[in-house]
Order: sequence, then structure tokens, then C-alpha cells
Amino acid sequence: MSFNGAVFLSNLIEILSCLGTTFLVMVASLFFSLLLATVTVMGNLGKNKIFRSIARGYITLMRCVPPIVLLFVVYYGAPHLVKGAFGVDINQLDAIYFAIFALSLLHGASISELMRGAYESVEKGQREAAVSIGLSSFQAFYRIIFPQALVTALPTLGNTIVGLLKDGALAYSIGVVDITGQASYLISMNLGGYVLETYLALALIYWILSLVVQKSFGFLETRLKKG
Amino acid sequence: MLTIRDVRKSFQENEVLKGVSIEVEKGDVVVILGPSGSGKTTLLRSINFLERADSGTLDWEDIHLDLKHASRKDVALIRKKTAFVFQNYNLFKNKTALENVMEGLTVARKVPKKEAEKIAKEALDKVGLSERYDYYPSQLSGGQQQRVGIARAVAVNPDIILFDEPTSALDPELVGEVLNVIKTLAKEGTTMIVVTHEIKFAQEVANKVVFMDGGFVVEEGSANEIFNHPKEERTQQFLRRILPDYDYAI
Ligand SMILES: Nc1ncnc2c1ncn2[C@@H]1O[C@H](COP(=O)(O)OP(=O)(O)O)[C@@H](O)[C@H]1O
Ligand SMILES: [Mg+2]
Repeated sequence: MSFNGAVFLSNLIEILSCLGTTFLVMVASLFFSLLLATVTVMGNLGKNKIFRSIARGYITLMRCVPPIVLLFVVYYGAPHLVKGAFGVDINQLDAIYFAIFALSLLHGASISELMRGAYESVEKGQREAAVSIGLSSFQAFYRIIFPQALVTALPTLGNTIVGLLKDGALAYSIGVVDITGQASYLISMNLGGYVLETYLALALIYWILSLVVQKSFGFLETRLKKG
Repeated sequence: MLTIRDVRKSFQENEVLKGVSIEVEKGDVVVILGPSGSGKTTLLRSINFLERADSGTLDWEDIHLDLKHASRKDVALIRKKTAFVFQNYNLFKNKTALENVMEGLTVARKVPKKEAEKIAKEALDKVGLSERYDYYPSQLSGGQQQRVGIARAVAVNPDIILFDEPTSALDPELVGEVLNVIKTLAKEGTTMIVVTHEIKFAQEVANKVVFMDGGFVVEEGSANEIFNHPKEERTQQFLRRILPDYDYAI
């Protein structure tokens, strides 16, 4: 059995045709996990004890479940829950929505922790200096604390997005045809043949995408870093 | 002008201020002395509401406040009338020297950018940093950073500037440049409260000295009274410790 370069190339192109779905899952999950993370970190750092407990409970829950298990729980569990609560049948909904929902849940928790770390890395004195010259708490936050926290958060956020990209591959297990889904479809079309050619092509795409994400965040960090 | 009465503040079980009162007249340079842990920083922070006192009152012309219950609006009002110079400078790390000084003008006081820039440059010139407008804090020495801190406080034209040990984080060779700036401000009639361990400086600029220990004001008076004729045993001990060759007249 020898490596077939022609198959490798043609499969590479076939897989790339599904790149849009991979991007969609990644970008949509990133968007919703950022929203969720913002709400969670506000609850976690806020004064309200109930919100804090909810935020911490959610973070712990997400930290302790393997991504694929969460995905299955969401995929098989959410329709029951929604039917029970609202009487709406979402069984026919495209699997991609469940994938995005599960990934957002998962990464919303880790991004909220990353946000908390970045926020806490900004010295207390920065806020105090801001309010002492008359800025409101909100002005102190968005003019002084947030820009500094963002620079601290960027490298880790880059890693998280790479994580999102990689975890997105799990979506194929509930039937989403992203690049991983396409790769396994090609293998089954070839009756299990050219496995190495296909997965190598897939791996190459992930490597390049990860590299692009990491480089762009490195670039952003140097651009935003001051002094 | 400003009268603070009977300020009390505890951190958990630890009562740090046990009823401190202090009076400041326009043009006063009030120096607060006292051993570490006596509550000097907490007192300054309470005046500026960086710390919420447990009780005490503040009277300032027609403003009369209960320190514990002061509203957000009152807090904002007092903060606009005061400025704080921190022991470890606390310059905004994401802003240049000029931006640090402009921030309180453009953002908090809505001064137009052009005018704010002019005021900020004047303030930086005054502290001898006309060559450093566009430097970030990390590119400045401690002494330069603290001078930006002073310019930031001066620029907003406060009625009182609160200095919390402005030179104690500095290398000895940088202390002089910062003290000189504060001396200049004092000579120009700037009203200020200065916590410091620099006794020579205090003798030179203070027209009123307050000695604190254990959360109380132990003794207060003119610089001459406190340095040359301290009445209280604890004040004498403190001065003897801080000035090894100290010799006061009884
Ligand atoms: N945020 C805080 N939490 C708990 N204890 C504090 C806090 N700030 C100050 N203290 C305590 O209050 C006492 C007085 O502190 P401080 O006002 O900083 O004194 P000084 O400035 O005279 O050295 C110290 O014992 C210190 O440990
Ligand atoms: Mg102190």
C-alpha cells in the first residue's frame, strides 16, 4: 500500500469545499460563547450571591464534561427539554444548531475564566487612579481596565479559538458536514480506502487554520500592546 | 475650608481609624506623620472615598456629608474637588504621559481636546517633563512617573491634592526631584495634605503637622511646635527614631 498523491490532492479539494461550514460553526460558537462568557464573568465577579453561584456552577459543570459527551447530551437532550418547556418540536432542526449551542456552552465557560483572569491581572490602583481624577466606574472600566485586560487576554483567547476550531470537528459525530464530516464521507465513498490520504489532507487544513489564528492574535497583541 | 470629623474605619476586626479629625484651610500644607500602620493611608483614602469610612463627617463650604452614607453624586463632587497622588504612582499603563494627564480633563470634565492638551502640556512642563509627553509609563523612571502622577493631579485644578507617601517607592537618588516639584506647588499656595516620612521636607513646607499613631491623632500643631517642642511622649519617640541625631527643646 503506497501513498497516493493524486487522491490526496483531490480529497484536499473536496474537503475544502466544506470549509464554510467549519467556519460557520467556529464563528457562530465564538460569538455566542463571548456573549455567554461576558454574562458569566459579570455574575462571577458581581456582588449578587445567587448569580455568582449560578456562574460558578456553570463553569464547574462545563469543566468536568468531555466535549463529545456534552455534544450528545445537547443533541439528544435539548429536543426533550424544549418540547417539555415550550411544546415546540425541534427534532427536525439542523444538527449544526445543536453543535453551535454545545460549543458555545462549553467555551463560554472557559472564556469567562480567561476574562476573569485578565480582569484581575489589572492592578486595583488603575481603577482607583481613574475614579480619583473624576472618571465614573464605567468610564474607568472601558477606558483604563478593559484595554489593558484585552491585551493580557489576547494570547489565551487565540488558544481558545484554536480549541473551538478543533472541538468543532466533533460536530461531524451528530451529522454536521464540516471538513471532518466531509473527510469521513469521502472515506466511506471509497469503501474505507485512502484513509491516510484523506486524514492527512484534513490535518493539513487544521494545521494551517490554527497557525493563521495564532499568528493573527500574536499580531493583534503586538499592535494593541502599549509601552 | 475642609473639616473631617471623627472618622472611624475598621477592616474586619481591625479598627484602623478610631475617630480622627482634621482641618484644612485654603493654602495649608498639612503634613501627616506617623509610624507604618497608623492609618494615614486609610485616612486619605477615606477623604477621597477610595475607602468607605464606617462613620464620620465631611464639611466643605456648603457641602455637608456623612462619610458612610454619601451618595454617588456627593462622592463624584468630592472627587472633582480633590486629586490623589499615589505611593506607587498608578499611572494608566495603556496611556502616554500626556494622555494620563489629559484623561481627567477630557473624560471627567468634558474639556475640549485642544484645550485639555494645552493644560496637560503645561502641567507636564511644570514638573520638568516637557521632553516626555509621548512616553508610556513603562518607559519612564520612578521619579518621572511620580512627576506625571503629580501633573495628572495638578491638571484638573483641584482644591486639595492628597499625597500618600509620594516618594517612598523611589530610589533615594530620585526622591529629590519629586520633593522639589511638591515644594514648588506648596510655595505657589496649593492646598495639600501630604503623608511623608521625609522630615526635612516636612519642616520646610508644612504649616501644619499632624502626628498619628494607632488610629488616633496623637498631636497636631505648627511645624515648629511638633518638631521643636513635641508635647506627647509618643511623638518624641517617633521623632527620635526617625531622626537619629534628633534633639528637641522641651
Ligand atoms: N484593604 C485593607 N484590608 C485590610 N486591612 C487593611 C486594608 N488597608 C489597610 N489595612 C490595615 O490597616 C492598618 C492601617 O493601614 P494604613 O492606613 O495603610 O496605614 P499607614 O498608611 O499609616 O501605614 C494596617 O494595619 C493595615 O494592615
Ligand atoms: Mg501608608
